[in-house]
Amino acid sequence: MRANYRVNSGVRFEVLSKDQLQEMFDGVLHVMDKIGLDVHHDRAREILAGAGARVEGKRVQIPPHVVKRSLATAPRSFTIYARDGNPAHDIHIGPGRSHFGPGPTPPNFIDIETLERRPYVRDDARIVATVCDALPNIDFCESLGTISDVHTDLAASYEFATMFPKTSKPIVAWSYGWDDSNDIHQIAVAEAGGQEAFEKRPNYVHYCEPLSPLVSTFEAVDKVIFAAEHGVPVIFTTCALAGGTAPVTPAGIIIQTTAESFMGLVLSQTIRPGLPFFMGGVLSVMDMSAMILTYGAPELSLMMAGATELAHYCGIPLWQTGGCTDSKCLDEQASLEGSLSVFFSALSGGDLCHDVGYTESGMTGSILQTVMMDEAIGYSRRICRGIEVNEETLAVDVIQDVGPDGHYLYHDHTMRHFKTEFWYPNLCDRRNFEEWDADGQKPMRDRVVERTREIAATHEPSPVRPETEKAIAEIMEAAEERVKDKS
Amino acid sequence: MSQILEQIATGIIGGDIQGVEKLVQKALDEGQEAETILQNGLIVGMAEVGKRFKAAQMFIPEVLRAAKSMHGGQELLRPLLAGDKAGRAGKIVIGTVQGDLHDIGKNLVGMLCEGAGFEVVDLGFDAPPDKFTEAIKTHQPDIVAMSALLTTTMRAMGYTLKAIEEAGLRDKVKVMVGGAPVDAEFAERIGADGYGHNAVSGAEVARNLIEAG
Amino acid sequence: MSEILQQITTAVMQGKKDEIAQIAQQAIDEGSGAEDILYKGLMPGMDYVSVEFKAGRVFVPEVMRSARAMLNVMEVIKPLMVEKGISMVGKVLLGTVKGDLHDIGKNLVGMMCEGAGFEVRNLGINVEPEKFVEAVKEFEPDIVGMSALLTTTMRSMGDTVKALEEAGVRDRVQIMIGGAPVSQAFADKIGVAYAPDAAAAADKAKELIANSR
Repeated sequence: MRANYRVNSGVRFEVLSKDQLQEMFDGVLHVMDKIGLDVHHDRAREILAGAGARVEGKRVQIPPHVVKRSLATAPRSFTIYARDGNPAHDIHIGPGRSHFGPGPTPPNFIDIETLERRPYVRDDARIVATVCDALPNIDFCESLGTISDVHTDLAASYEFATMFPKTSKPIVAWSYGWDDSNDIHQIAVAEAGGQEAFEKRPNYVHYCEPLSPLVSTFEAVDKVIFAAEHGVPVIFTTCALAGGTAPVTPAGIIIQTTAESFMGLVLSQTIRPGLPFFMGGVLSVMDMSAMILTYGAPELSLMMAGATELAHYCGIPLWQTGGCTDSKCLDEQASLEGSLSVFFSALSGGDLCHDVGYTESGMTGSILQTVMMDEAIGYSRRICRGIEVNEETLAVDVIQDVGPDGHYLYHDHTMRHFKTEFWYPNLCDRRNFEEWDADGQKPMRDRVVERTREIAATHEPSPVRPETEKAIAEIMEAAEERVKDKS
Repeated sequence: MSQILEQIATGIIGGDIQGVEKLVQKALDEGQEAETILQNGLIVGMAEVGKRFKAAQMFIPEVLRAAKSMHGGQELLRPLLAGDKAGRAGKIVIGTVQGDLHDIGKNLVGMLCEGAGFEVVDLGFDAPPDKFTEAIKTHQPDIVAMSALLTTTMRAMGYTLKAIEEAGLRDKVKVMVGGAPVDAEFAERIGADGYGHNAVSGAEVARNLIEAG
Repeated sequence: MSEILQQITTAVMQGKKDEIAQIAQQAIDEGSGAEDILYKGLMPGMDYVSVEFKAGRVFVPEVMRSARAMLNVMEVIKPLMVEKGISMVGKVLLGTVKGDLHDIGKNLVGMMCEGAGFEVRNLGINVEPEKFVEAVKEFEPDIVGMSALLTTTMRSMGDTVKALEEAGVRDRVQIMIGGAPVSQAFADKIGVAYAPDAAAAADKAKELIANSR
């Protein structure tokens, strides 16, 4: 009898031991208990005090037992649902599952027709959602920009209103505050068929970003309260710069950002125990020459892997980062940095890996980068599936069947497995020289551009219900009314 | 150049905060003129730091240490320096605009401006427009510098400029802006006088604004 | 009648290599002619598979299955075709040249050609030039296809062409070559046609036949 007959360990990237993880967890508890964080939100401080935190002025210190209680109620596994009921677009969060998608809010965008960098506009949100809906390895959608051609206060509302009908993959939404969070939520609820139906099958995730070091800003906290009160799965993620706004060492930055994220955890679990919560965040280094937060550093992948392990050690999912680059265009650097970070994210099993499509260190969104990374994700996923070993896959009987000098080309065994054992590229060119030559000798970047334009022009996402269309129009009309007197 | 001035310059480059203070004191005790110590010691060191940073031989943490050493030495010399600015390059009021809590970029610019010989008044973060106008009245700076890290808070730079205009203070100061989402086009659109694309260029822009008068 | 031919087409498309012989037999029993089975049943199925293969929607093992299915029917209808004097698209003689034991590429070409309606004779691997000459005389093919996987055995292709010339049979056949190290330039040098892969080889064979008639 083979005891481990069906055991398949897969391929993984582990950077910390159990002892090291416990040491880091102890560090997080110490920071929260003895140092504390500044929380710029009166009501949040009241809620936290009620949960057992010590509050003095803006400073909030949270004892270990309160943190652990919140960790106990936050789920490790849950589902974010496709709005249209398409099970292929559901996201099942749980051990060994990584998911990928773009990121929020760069000011610029690479125009897919002119290939030039320009401010992000409303129609870009439509393009990003449409393309993400079609890409086989992109699991959730984010906008890759801040809409510049609408009233500033409504950028997030318009973004969601534009993307939601164009993809049935779950959207990770951001917002400025309570009002636009509410716009977004009302749209999602309209499609779900009411608040109660939404809570059963949440169809989007809310993104909140506090500040490093150790500051929970009013907006970030306000959004967590909104999400918790409305049953929206929530991400609370800082974007820390090692050597700038966080310790220069990977262990140090992981401890600090985890403590920052745990403030959102405790707040959300206090308001609504059991609310799906994602620990953050974006951990990278401050480049000490260029003075930027680098999105292409090896330390990003390493620190994100460490944070992922700590989150999983604590029993909660992680908001990962990858598929991003410091490059300004679709070039070899973008491919190298993006692909490697995607690969390590997949290897470390980050639950939601975002920023797939960030270029220029997060200053410019590029759906072209996302399309190129879709290929890298497919490639990485094949490797992470590992080698399955059982009687069927060992194929000794098949080898006997074919024997010396035979071939496996259409053997039943080949037929059963060739589609699942092999990964088939969409962009990497494996044709012979003659075909590639006859097709104009196109390099990767040309193929990326072609595929992006083709998807944007031809893909038809499943539509929202007619009632939702109407609701979106009404919600946006009311939103315009709300801001019409503000400059 | 005397040996001690050379040591001061080296101390600046090495970011030896206490060492530079001691050496400046020693140089004064030895009878060196304050102006000479400033020009031939501190400024020589800082100029070399700027050169090395641009050549990627020095990094931001080292530049900041150098700036801090420079500042310490300058404080010792200040009472002894002649002229209305007492050896200062000028005065800067700096702050992160309303709604924005991001501090580090602005702090970098502040430290580097101090290293460049400016007196810096830091209004902190989330500074509303009237805090800027009040500070201009109180401190009478040559330059007002505003920072923002978010596309959403960039707007507040425009509001602050408008407030400065409405208070009748616009022609009393030069205004410069910076921060990740800010670019030269935006700076021009809101009517700022200068734009720094990073902290080091921020300090340079400040110097250029003073020289341009 | 057309319904059963359509079933044959579908069976080819789906690579039902075992069931298809039965369907073909049923067609014959119901009075379908061999020519109809070939040109209205089998060939449309293979054409479809070939188009889908080129579009990347169907893969090599599936094409092979379809070709195998077609061949299984060919075995049934060949006697009938001979009886009625119906000819195939053409005859292809295949072999991996002397010194080279690589089989799979040549086999792929063989199956692709069979799928395209050719009668194929496969001489196997390590085929001496003389063996090609003999087979040309005996089998009287329209096309001779040679394969080599090694740069070291590519030379045997030239030797084989020379042997065919010396035997005075070079003019009776068209020659095409293929294999990983083989290129258009090499084919030009030895005065033969070239196909970069197995699917292209079947197309090339059809093209050579069309041009010669």
